[in-house]
Amino acid sequence: MIFKENATLQEKLAILADGAKYDVACTSSGVSRKGRKGEIGNTSASGICHSFSADGRCISLLKILFTNECIYNCKYCVNRCSNDIPRATFTPEEVCTLTMEFYRRNYIEGLFLSSGIVESPDHTMELICQTLHALRTIYRFNGYIHCKAIPGTSPELVEEAGWYADRMSVNLEFPTAKGLRELAPNKTRETILTPMQQIQNGVRESRELLGMKGGNQSAYWYTQKRLGRALPGDTEKEKLLREKDKDRKKVINKGTSEEKSPERQKAAFTGVNGTALTRIKKRDISRGFVPSGQSTQMIIGATGESDYEIMAVTEALYQNFDLKRVFYSAFINVNQDSTLPAVDGQPPLRREHRLYQADFLLRYYGFRAADLLSESRPFFNTYLDPKCDWALGHLEQFPVEVTKADYQTLLKVPGIGTKSASRIVKARRTGMLDYQSLKAMGVVMKRAVYFITCHGKMMYSFLKIDEDYITRNLLENDRDVMKGFGEKVTYKQLSLFDDNGDMRAFS
Amino acid sequence: MDIERTVQIYRCEDTVDGILSAIYEAGISGYGHDYIRIEPIRMDSPANLSLFAEYIDVETEQEKAEKVIRAVYEKISARAYTYLMYAAAADAPDRGDALYQFLVHGFSMGDRVCDAFSILSVKRVFELKRAVGNESHYSREFMRFKEVSREPRLMLATFEPTHRVLPMVMEHFRDRFPGEWFIIYDKHHLEAGFHTAEDELEIRLLTTEEAERLEALSEKEEDYVALWKTFFHAIAIEERKNEKLQRNHMPLHYRTYVTEFIE
Repeated sequence: MIFKENATLQEKLAILADGAKYDVACTSSGVSRKGRKGEIGNTSASGICHSFSADGRCISLLKILFTNECIYNCKYCVNRCSNDIPRATFTPEEVCTLTMEFYRRNYIEGLFLSSGIVESPDHTMELICQTLHALRTIYRFNGYIHCKAIPGTSPELVEEAGWYADRMSVNLEFPTAKGLRELAPNKTRETILTPMQQIQNGVRESRELLGMKGGNQSAYWYTQKRLGRALPGDTEKEKLLREKDKDRKKVINKGTSEEKSPERQKAAFTGVNGTALTRIKKRDISRGFVPSGQSTQMIIGATGESDYEIMAVTEALYQNFDLKRVFYSAFINVNQDSTLPAVDGQPPLRREHRLYQADFLLRYYGFRAADLLSESRPFFNTYLDPKCDWALGHLEQFPVEVTKADYQTLLKVPGIGTKSASRIVKARRTGMLDYQSLKAMGVVMKRAVYFITCHGKMMYSFLKIDEDYITRNLLENDRDVMKGFGEKVTYKQLSLFDDNGDMRAFS
Repeated sequence: MDIERTVQIYRCEDTVDGILSAIYEAGISGYGHDYIRIEPIRMDSPANLSLFAEYIDVETEQEKAEKVIRAVYEKISARAYTYLMYAAAADAPDRGDALYQFLVHGFSMGDRVCDAFSILSVKRVFELKRAVGNESHYSREFMRFKEVSREPRLMLATFEPTHRVLPMVMEHFRDRFPGEWFIIYDKHHLEAGFHTAEDELEIRLLTTEEAERLEALSEKEEDYVALWKTFFHAIAIEERKNEKLQRNHMPLHYRTYVTEFIE
């Protein structure tokens, strides 16, 4: 190991940002908190990006490691202990000063603190907690904080961090337990899922006892609710418990008026048994516990999982752990480890992109993993987005008549999103719809035209509901920024074109 | 219908209050709505006088503007109020006209007017509102402050928005930095917002001399700029490099005052 003795702040920042860059989530969303007198900062539920790096990824948070020293030897990770790279460690003061000074200049929306494992998971988590404690109480920072829960940390420390953080995340690392065993020998599924469950319970308790504190439910949760499906994390027992807690909350809220005093709130649940939040009486509860919820990420393309397996895992995570987001990270072979697949040139960015699109279909559009893929068709089409791909396989459901279709049916149309669908539903209560106004509502016509009618007519009379015809036209209009990334392909390789690449066959 | 009627053109200052004052005057005139136009006087386009129209010059008065705002808020809805304020802040010569027609419909339809995309003026107001909303969001994202004085600490940010988004942007940073001295300078409209450590806020047009003084304050700040650039470059993944995607998210014209893109 190379230790950087007396590294300057700038050198440390270069090393510890470099070590953190493979972590995907840079979101600052999920909680809206007003500014406070005597403090600095607020948060916005939609999240705010502040810049975009040369790879096109958003920079919202100061994403750094506390240290890149690590006792673990995960084969995929650049910080593994056997790697011969410069190592550095921040002090809590350095992290706080950087966060505050960057925040004042509006470079960032807050801090994303992760870390290599020094000595033990508990020791590492203690360092993280110390830093966050200083940032919140000494530096009076009221902006966004995302921090990692280190697998294998004791529950007290996970909870401690949760009282300072807005969002926490535990990385799933790989879609399957087998992949994890092979590539991250020091981690197990259990050490990952345990803190995840603890945070889930803590968030739920916090919401029931303290209110939402500006946080929102996950998009997945709202979508399931709208469709009348079971909500994430629901079991019969929990439903009952929730009912009971609701009554208790009513009692607590009664007589405390709008301005709930923290003392009274704390006093109100003396004697609550089995709570995930054991430190609630000793901590500043004004922000709630992890008010913005939790997320996770997994690496795509290092182990042999299919897209179907990945989407099924994703769906299970939303349902059972009430996650806000699942992030995907196209595998980059930074260590050239012989047990890992050799990735020739580009990481599988296109595949990653399709997974994100499908993830949105699960969270906002009410699709299920099994609607999109199956055992017999386990991969997404890399040339078409998953929604177009789905629609082409279900042409019997089209065209959709926009003047009559309900919200959920509109959502299934390629080119119509959540905003435009709700605008359509509202607009037709006030007057006649036409193609011009659909455009103004944000409908992406170059995709939607093949799938809709307005007052019984398609936009152009020559359009036909035909799989090959639509596919060809969709591909021609494709101005995807991910084009050329990932797999090296030409249109010629598309199975729907004949061997000579003769596209006239479809005209 | 009285086809012979002359069109009345209300000429006003090209500001939010100017537009609202004209809407007020036109509204109380009792003249047929179809024969009313509102035309902000713009520096960049010489008045294009029409022979068959009657011109009425409107004086900007805050009181008139407030009456319009209150009426919209109380008689239409909070949403219509947001549409009004955002669209009025747009840099578009037709915004007075669109807003006037939008409000005429609004006073009869109520809040539903905001959904009525089949009405041309509503569609236009929606487009303007969206453009202004987008720009104020971009401004919140890409605004960059520098420390121009240490004791007491004073932060200054400069930007050049197309629309008059300064009030919305000031509101955001006021909530964020309640105890800080800061100035946001809109170089395009020669306007600035001032915020004190006591959370007092003032937004006003600047004289040329004041603008020059603000420009002179824009000295280079070294330490944190260098640290930020270090971070900005370290966080990018070489194997994923995609400048087209970066440009999609952060168009070049928004980068003029953005620290990490300034050499």
